[in-house]
Amino acid sequence: MSYSVTVQTLIDQLGRLPGIGPKSAQRVALHLLKVPADDANRLARAITEAKEKVSVCPRCFNLSEDGAECAVCSDPRRDGTLICVVEEPSDIVAVERTQEFRGRYHVLQGAFSPIDGVGVDRLRVVELCDRIVAEGVEEVIIATNPNLEGEATATLVARYLAPHDVRITRIASGLPVGGDLEYADELTLGRALEGRRAVDAG
Amino acid sequence: MNVESVSLADFRSYPEARFTFTPGLTAVLGSNGRGKTNLLEAVGFMAGIGSLRGVPDEALVRSGTDAAVVRGEIAADDGRQFLVEIEIARTGRNRVLLNRQRVSRLRELAGALTVTVFSPDDLQLVKGSPAHRRRWLDEALVACHPARESVRADLDRILRQRNTALRQARGRISPDIAVTLDVWDAKLAAAGDQLRCLRRELLSGLVPRLAAAYAVVAGAATEISADYASSWGPEPLAEALAAARSDDVRRGVTTVGPHRDDVSFEIDGLAARTHASQGEQRSLALALRLAADGEVRARRSVKPVLLLDDVFSELDPGRAGALALALPDGQKILTSATGVPPGCSADQVLLLDGPARSPERP
Ligand SMILES: Nc1ncnc2c1ncn2[C@@H]1O[C@H](COP(=O)(O)OP(=O)(O)O)[C@@H](O)[C@H]1O
Ligand SMILES: [Mg+2]
Ligand SMILES: [Zn+2]
Repeated sequence: MSYSVTVQTLIDQLGRLPGIGPKSAQRVALHLLKVPADDANRLARAITEAKEKVSVCPRCFNLSEDGAECAVCSDPRRDGTLICVVEEPSDIVAVERTQEFRGRYHVLQGAFSPIDGVGVDRLRVVELCDRIVAEGVEEVIIATNPNLEGEATATLVARYLAPHDVRITRIASGLPVGGDLEYADELTLGRALEGRRAVDAG
Repeated sequence: MNVESVSLADFRSYPEARFTFTPGLTAVLGSNGRGKTNLLEAVGFMAGIGSLRGVPDEALVRSGTDAAVVRGEIAADDGRQFLVEIEIARTGRNRVLLNRQRVSRLRELAGALTVTVFSPDDLQLVKGSPAHRRRWLDEALVACHPARESVRADLDRILRQRNTALRQARGRISPDIAVTLDVWDAKLAAAGDQLRCLRRELLSGLVPRLAAAYAVVAGAATEISADYASSWGPEPLAEALAAARSDDVRRGVTTVGPHRDDVSFEIDGLAARTHASQGEQRSLALALRLAADGEVRARRSVKPVLLLDDVFSELDPGRAGALALALPDGQKILTSATGVPPGCSADQVLLLDGPARSPERP
């Protein structure tokens, strides 16, 4: 037996999500069809609303709402002389959880990986350099993931920042190598932030 | 270390099978096509070395099914017990569990099980392309220090990144390409210098073992030398990469680095690849495996499990007898289509008979 076009479309759409294979897609689809309509609609509404409202912060490329600056950028208590550079908005959440960091952020929107089609032009490095001058930044902490592409991204950022009069540091090792910032526990990540060291442009 | 049991489900020709092994020598016998090599391949997979035949994982999944499962129990030399479970999916990622904990890379299994594989293809180590010799050296490196696998894996990935960037350049060094190459060159230089250094150090330790093993197998003391033939000079790789950059951009590939290095062997002062007889080449190939195995034993004080796939039938009686004597102690699993090889005494015989190919399940 095969599914009707409607059901198969739902399965196919779910199957396009990251980390969801054909089997999980089928399971989720059948689950959605079983739950009360209200529950399924709440999910549909959440997706529609998020897509309508959520935007990218024009300053740091974090997630924000309605085209405005994000919560961090618009908070006057944050230290504007300090910028923490991360790959993705989810990394900001991880660093914020440590409660160790009072500066602002800059989201590169990816890691440097030609294989994955992420070249220099796709990363927000030029925008980062512009902020150094415009915002009087004194220190940039590079908190890209402790894996190969994350390290290459760190080297790239350091090279772009080299001509600027700014201290460049890299979060300390001690994070599991090959890992993901997002999954590091707060204590480890907090220590890594504290133990950051100066980098050269490689 | 000993492989105590191997259970297979939909692996190669096996719909379902379970084997138990003695700590001594097991002879797996059966005529051609009965699944002898398939069984050794499963044991090799448990050691994290991938397919013995160097084929993609999907070839290991029994035709008509979606996933193969290999499950094995290993007793380490220090008394620890390991359970290795691998699910090989026809498409998508494999699931690898060590003592029921997920591990991210197959190669991490090398910490639980190390094998030394002898196969009829080993002649390629002497006669074949440099890639075979690099692989021999790198496999020995990882077998000696499982943690070193990351150096090799990083190097592979950095090369893919750099080569992709070179192709994207389409022969022109734009400012973006220049900075891209600057970054990946720095990574390649660091990993490449380290790998060359590790390989050279390993090779110099292997040479005396190689000469000793060759003398035993060939039955004559002979001078064996091994020279690491690098694709760049004594300077740091960073300098060689800088010098090669415009050439690399034009050709779209990285022309210097450890991936272009080779090892050249000489038997009594003559190049083994081009000058040695077939018999001498076979002796050298066996000696290469024995030497690597000896180095692992010395450096890690573990005894790798020896997997010998149909190697005796290729040898003349003299070499076959000498090899049987030269095999170090510990567990050995050998396959043969013609009975237990002369000179070997099997503690266990596994007869694979029945249909050459198992019938499809309903
Ligand atoms: N993925 C697979 N699915 C089903 N059968 C396979 C698969 N891979 C190999 N075989 C079968 O296994 C047999 C070869 O087994 P092998 O272990 O090489 O034999 P031998 O005992 O000669 O070493 C062949 O008949 C081949 O068709
Ligand atoms: Mg075979
Ligand atoms: Zn912002």
